[in-house]
Amino acid sequence: MAMAAAGLVSLPAWANGWTRATVQTGKPLLPAVAEALLAEVAETILPATETPGAKALGVHQFIQKIVTDCLEPSAQQTLSKGLTAVESLAQQTYGKAFAAGDAGQRMDVLKTMEQSADADQKAFFGMVKGLTIRGYLTSEYVMTNLTHFEFAPGRYHGCVPVKQKPISAKE
Amino acid sequence: MSNLAIDAVKAATYDAIVIGSGISGGWAAKEFTGKGLRTLVLERGRDVKHVTDYPTTMMQPWEFEHRNQLPRAVREANPIISKCYAFYEGTTQFFVKDNEHPYVQEKPFDWIRGYQVGGKSLLWARQTQRWSEFDFEGPARDGFAVDWPIRYADMAPWYSYVEKFAGISGNKDGLDTLPDGEFLPPHEWNCVESHFQKQVAARYKDRHVIMGRCAHITKPQPIHLQQGRAQCQHRTICERGCPYGGYFSSNASTLPWAARTGKMTLRPNAVVHSIIYDEKKGKATGVRVIDADTKQMTEYYARIIFVNAAALNTNLILLNSTSNRFPNGLGNDNGLLGKYVAFHNYRAGISAEYDGFLESTTDGRRPNSPYIPRFRNVYKQETGFLRGYAAGFSAGRMSRTNQEGLGASLKENLVNPTLGGWYVGSHMMGETIPKESNYVALDSGLKDPFGIPQLKISIAYDDNDDQMVKDYQEQMTEMFTAAGFKNIRVRDDKRNPGLDIHEMGGVRMGRDPKTSLLNKWNQLHACKNVFVTDGACMTSTSTQNPSLTYMALTARAVDYAVKEMKKANL
Repeated sequence: MAMAAAGLVSLPAWANGWTRATVQTGKPLLPAVAEALLAEVAETILPATETPGAKALGVHQFIQKIVTDCLEPSAQQTLSKGLTAVESLAQQTYGKAFAAGDAGQRMDVLKTMEQSADADQKAFFGMVKGLTIRGYLTSEYVMTNLTHFEFAPGRYHGCVPVKQKPISAKE
Repeated sequence: MSNLAIDAVKAATYDAIVIGSGISGGWAAKEFTGKGLRTLVLERGRDVKHVTDYPTTMMQPWEFEHRNQLPRAVREANPIISKCYAFYEGTTQFFVKDNEHPYVQEKPFDWIRGYQVGGKSLLWARQTQRWSEFDFEGPARDGFAVDWPIRYADMAPWYSYVEKFAGISGNKDGLDTLPDGEFLPPHEWNCVESHFQKQVAARYKDRHVIMGRCAHITKPQPIHLQQGRAQCQHRTICERGCPYGGYFSSNASTLPWAARTGKMTLRPNAVVHSIIYDEKKGKATGVRVIDADTKQMTEYYARIIFVNAAALNTNLILLNSTSNRFPNGLGNDNGLLGKYVAFHNYRAGISAEYDGFLESTTDGRRPNSPYIPRFRNVYKQETGFLRGYAAGFSAGRMSRTNQEGLGASLKENLVNPTLGGWYVGSHMMGETIPKESNYVALDSGLKDPFGIPQLKISIAYDDNDDQMVKDYQEQMTEMFTAAGFKNIRVRDDKRNPGLDIHEMGGVRMGRDPKTSLLNKWNQLHACKNVFVTDGACMTSTSTQNPSLTYMALTARAVDYAVKEMKKANL
């Protein structure tokens, strides 16, 4: 990562805030086709329901960012090889592109990878599922609307009764 | 000298020079300017202005490019600071990068530094426990280091003085091992912490669990509002800098206060090379400063010089301040400068679970936790090792998320975690014994990017520390078991010295110029107008987080220095 030197004026690049657009400014890890496929994989893991799914929240861009910048270099291989495997499994299973399958067919492909004897496929599934969950739970939409993150709670109460309703319920 | 040169010297002359703008330097600046002295504050790093230079302070979690995970390139380039709990995507701007200011590790030492206006006062853990009489009398009673030239009674009024201004939250617990102070309301306990506190009190007469005293404004007083500071908002992202001034830092508190007097000149990017000693006058006359940008050397002059560069860099500056009179470093007649460095032993911890109080949980966040003052070897020697340890302690409710499966059900489960039982945890803060063999010195060959010799650090644990780790693990296991905690696990992470960020000593205080560098007023025995009031002055370490003691020592020493100056003794 290009860290800004301790300058007086220039802030580190990330201090200006992250948006889906700025994430794509660097050299993309995946070609556009593969990126579109990753978006479909993430969407299969966490699909749009009455609330937005992984794709609409840009989780696939977060996954690429973490794989490229934070994880060991081998993770990049795991990701691109895994996406190739996703596509060929889809062709083998239902004779269509992964994205063209219905929700059940697409889930079957991912479940096959989860239980695969092929260590690379298993690793791909574990990594992408984990990052999808993380990207989803740390997205603005989810933290704001569903898990109700408080930036400045202004309080700490040590002993309060457990609330019976789920945290995603509206107050 | 020509008139031009005389004018130049005049322009570079102040009443007092303070080297460093961290927690103790900020206090020196406030106290000197408050007493009307024209004060030059030299900071080797860049300027960091309160609020406007905290670039990440208002960033939401999702606004961080890597959601606060450190990029691989940053970790690989900075293996040392990456070990520090406070170094993450939102705080990298406040840490000295590993390659920025090289040093020689004769033994492994993780040196964590903050070169900027405010220093590490932006990053500290904000725990502020007073020392007690047991701490100051420790070396004399137990026969190590040298006797402290001061006692608790010397410090008590100064603790009160700095506490009122800084804003310290705490409870008056009435313990002789940890004297009470001037407290703002304490933080709340949770059910399991209270349970542990009661169980320990019932079983052990001499062991106490209290709420930590910490530098957070829980109820602003007029003096805090006058500083422009407000109540802590419990964000618990303090290390990014606090826009409310909810916790104490030089940036939020002492430096703006000093600036308001009109008497302070703050010069960032000013790397102090050495202190100038005048053999005819028999005292220091100023400092040599290298501009961090231009590498030009400039001299500044003053009647009083305070060295507050942070413990090890204060040692470095004094060691590098050589003259005919002091060939081995300023004030170093006895050859002890740089020796008897010590630190805090944070190696051990313990964690467990508790399955009671399942009908209760916590609400909000707390920038603090309970604290267990030292109970070992306090009234008499009772173990095979010297001294003892304090401990942090906290509990919280675990959250469990079902991450099985795929699709809509997974998505639903993710945002509906269920509460698990309680986790409980603690970590030790052990006193280490200062020894001549734990030292810092100038490397004879290697230089830093400014041409200043690199600091060679040679500091290690000893058998006393190992025994203390074992005792902490045993005693805490016994206390956790008595409290009904389950699944108890102890650890010893064998971390390197330094990662505690509590390095102290090298320029120790003492009664005798033959065995110490500083007198009871933090004044160099052999060069009376130079004072050291940061961690370097510490004769022993005790167990408490040391910053509050540095603040109090600084205010006390400035008061003395100005009185001496008015008597024309400086």
